[in-house]
Amino acid sequence: MSALLSVENLRVEIAARDRRLTAIDDISFTIGAGEILGVVGESGAGKSVTGTAILGLLEPPAALAGGRIAFAGRRIDTLDEESMRRLRGKEIAAVFQDPLTSLDPLMTVGEQLVETMLTHLPIKRKEAFARAEDLLRMVGLPAPRERLQAYPHALSGGMRQRVVLALAFCCNPRLIIADEPTTALDVSVQAQILDVLRRMCRENGTAVMLVTHDMGVIAEATDRVAVMYAGRLAEIGPTRALVEEASHPYTRGLMASIPSLTRRRDTLVQIPGAMPRPDAPVSGCAFHPRCPSAEARCRSERPPAFAVEASQVACWLADPARRSVSA
Amino acid sequence: MGPGRAAHGGGRAAMIFVLGRLGQAFLVLLAAALVSFCLFRFVGDPVNNMTGQAASLAEREAMRAALGLADPVVLQFVRFVGKAVHGDFGMSYRFGQPVAGLVLERLPATLELSVVSMLIATGLGLPLGVWTALHRGSRLAQAVLAVSLVGIALPTFLIGIVLILVFSVRLGWLPSFGRGDTIQLGPWSTGLLTGSGLRSLVLPSVTLAVFQLALILRLTRAEMLEVMRTDFIRFARARGLHRGAIQYRHGLRNTLVPVVTIVGLQFGNVFAFSIIVETVFQWPGLGLLVIQAIQFGDIPVLAAYLVLVALCFAVINIAVDLFHLAIDPRIRISGGARGAA
Amino acid sequence: MSVSSVIRRVAGAWLDGDLLYRFRRSPVAVAAAALGALLVLAALGADLLAPYDAFDPASANAADARLPPGSQGLFGETYALGTDPQGRDMLSAMLYGLRTSLVVGVASVGLAAVMGVLLGLVAGYCGGLIDAIIMRTADVQLGFPAILIALLIDGVTRAVLPREVHERFAMPVLIVAIAASYWVQYARTVRGLVLVERRRDYVLAARVTGVSTPRTLFAHILPNVLGPILVIATINLALAILTESTLSFLGVGLPATQPSLGSLVRIGNEFVFSGDWWISTLPGLLLVLLSLSVNIFGDWLRDALNPKLAQ
Repeated sequence: MSALLSVENLRVEIAARDRRLTAIDDISFTIGAGEILGVVGESGAGKSVTGTAILGLLEPPAALAGGRIAFAGRRIDTLDEESMRRLRGKEIAAVFQDPLTSLDPLMTVGEQLVETMLTHLPIKRKEAFARAEDLLRMVGLPAPRERLQAYPHALSGGMRQRVVLALAFCCNPRLIIADEPTTALDVSVQAQILDVLRRMCRENGTAVMLVTHDMGVIAEATDRVAVMYAGRLAEIGPTRALVEEASHPYTRGLMASIPSLTRRRDTLVQIPGAMPRPDAPVSGCAFHPRCPSAEARCRSERPPAFAVEASQVACWLADPARRSVSA
Repeated sequence: MGPGRAAHGGGRAAMIFVLGRLGQAFLVLLAAALVSFCLFRFVGDPVNNMTGQAASLAEREAMRAALGLADPVVLQFVRFVGKAVHGDFGMSYRFGQPVAGLVLERLPATLELSVVSMLIATGLGLPLGVWTALHRGSRLAQAVLAVSLVGIALPTFLIGIVLILVFSVRLGWLPSFGRGDTIQLGPWSTGLLTGSGLRSLVLPSVTLAVFQLALILRLTRAEMLEVMRTDFIRFARARGLHRGAIQYRHGLRNTLVPVVTIVGLQFGNVFAFSIIVETVFQWPGLGLLVIQAIQFGDIPVLAAYLVLVALCFAVINIAVDLFHLAIDPRIRISGGARGAA
Repeated sequence: MSVSSVIRRVAGAWLDGDLLYRFRRSPVAVAAAALGALLVLAALGADLLAPYDAFDPASANAADARLPPGSQGLFGETYALGTDPQGRDMLSAMLYGLRTSLVVGVASVGLAAVMGVLLGLVAGYCGGLIDAIIMRTADVQLGFPAILIALLIDGVTRAVLPREVHERFAMPVLIVAIAASYWVQYARTVRGLVLVERRRDYVLAARVTGVSTPRTLFAHILPNVLGPILVIATINLALAILTESTLSFLGVGLPATQPSLGSLVRIGNEFVFSGDWWISTLPGLLLVLLSLSVNIFGDWLRDALNPKLAQ
């Protein structure tokens, strides 16, 4: 099965005062059809920028500075704006963090759904309205027909995000980029939204790139997960494998820092130090200042991605040449 | 929250909002009336002002009684308000005529001038503001923006003088003072129906419009830029909507809500600036009347003007609030106040 | 944390920070600032630069009235920019008028800022009825244009006070009148900031531990507030200069004995048709230069300090 989305050596730079900062530093990953890929990392690691870059919505001072993005076998990072516009919303859709600010306050929910569908699908208004009602029912909104006439401010946070999900799914996209879809919601509502997202993805065979900083969401909802650190990819692999036995020291630190109800611990585990910011890059491996297993090589050379079973790990510790020596 | 309850609650919130605004307007009017009354009663000696220096003692006493100056102040105030409501502001010191008549006579001139210049300012300012926002980087947009800054910096009276110099003195195309020929339509004297009336209207209305135009242009541009940066515009782009739909159906509509509110309030500003323009062009309107009243110390006219201005502002404010209520669903739902800090 | 240390800290941050960098890179801002500085210097040095004392009636020679620029007077004086209908030297009158405009402008803005900031602090900190009263007054006043308010205050004092008293106090009255129209924006901004800071955790912590809350509040508000206040002040200065000159032009600002650019234009207006253009054009030009420099600089400052427009 060839990948639905393929990102190769992506670089995104930001033009600051008199120099250029690197927001995304050479990352590569793929998403297969119908698969849910989680993208996790601290604030500022570059997760959201990745999604924005894929959608072609980068705005100055940020810009693509290298690499290749391909969707369904077709290269999209060099597409003209009109072709990209036709892709957006129809083939690749987005869900953003804050549902209140995502919706136009002056238009009813129904109008916004219908408008999106009329833009991309060859249907008439009446049919679009019927489909809008169906969509609202599918995302679990009670009384969908009345909801069509509602304005965003009249709905609660959870209901709004369901509307946003409906907007994302309305033209049957093949890929959805969900950027922190549950972060702005109450904890009780988060699980519901995730459920809706997962259910609709499975039912429609939609792939998802689920960006979040919440490890719990990752463990619950994703098939594979990519761990980003300082604009680079630390590790990427099946969720199960990473949660149970991660290879990269950073991933291990992340997993260990999740408070557990079952295992007994006396203190909360933390990774000491802080992630380097784009204006203060670090030589070699970005994580080495905080890594308990750092070696001389880590300080000077940036590790490539090594294959470890079904995962890819960017860490010198995973170097097969090294392992054969120590083994 | 069921939809039925939302509509009902929204209606109630809206009513509370409107009532609150009406109450505020009423208080403003009352305050204006109070200041007006104090002006009337306590500035100088009303009796002296009314009867002149040569009056005898008996005449003064008669006047004092007629004016009811011996009664308690509160009663005098109530009487004042009562008369004001009927439009009776006494006699002008300068003209010896009823103030109300003077004001009504001058009102059409000022209103025509104000409305025409607001039309120019809005008709040009809004579209230009939108255009410069959407074409932010272009050289032409930068040029327009620079010109608008000059428009704000130039004092209105200087603009008037320069226009007179160029178009009246040098070129002789347009008249430099007065209203031209006017036609009386009942109580309203209009200059819009005669050639000379329209020609006389050009320079003053353009002068008055310059500052407002520049202001509206910059305001619209700023609001539009702000709106285009919002999340819902970003989301609209992510949904692949057409550029026109994003810019106009989403961008412009959201921009117009605050812009129209402020433009409505600017109308009041035009009233004030008309004083300047009427002075430069000797336009026989309220502004000229007020300036002459200040120079002459004609208190009744000033008092009447104060109340009239307060009334106009109150009416404009209410109109703007109602408009805001009609087009912004958020207020209907939350009953939020415009401009709450 | 004292006020002076806070101001020093903020000033230091600005001097070697983003603002100076942007300033150097913007030719427009530099030009406007240079022009403004030049005008300020000219105004401050009016006593030294003006060939004649415009306040001294003796220096106005009626025989030399309405001479065009560059003429020679009866007694051999050179009038670089001509004379006005009373025989006053235009250059001197303009320099003094420039100084008047700047003094009135800066003083009224300063007064408005102080009034506004104080009222905003009080409203934000006290809340309740005081807050409501101050803010409702602000709301109402915001609807009234500054010109009207200044006109009203000036007009009333003019009617109430006898002529000589009014002339002596004309400038302070004008300053108060203009300040009274512009305090609102400061008050609103400061109040908003106070409301935000009040909810912060450190305020609660301070209150719990018994540290005086007003001091900590103000120490934290001041750095945040200086930026917006500076922007409002610059824009207000431009408006205040315009308002003063407009009031003087209308004849209700300063009396004829105190020269102002606006009143010079008014005097000259009557002679525009007879060809004596310099009496209103030259002061008008100077006024425009002053207004432009302040406006352009204020506009640049607002964009430079706006975090959302950061490029």
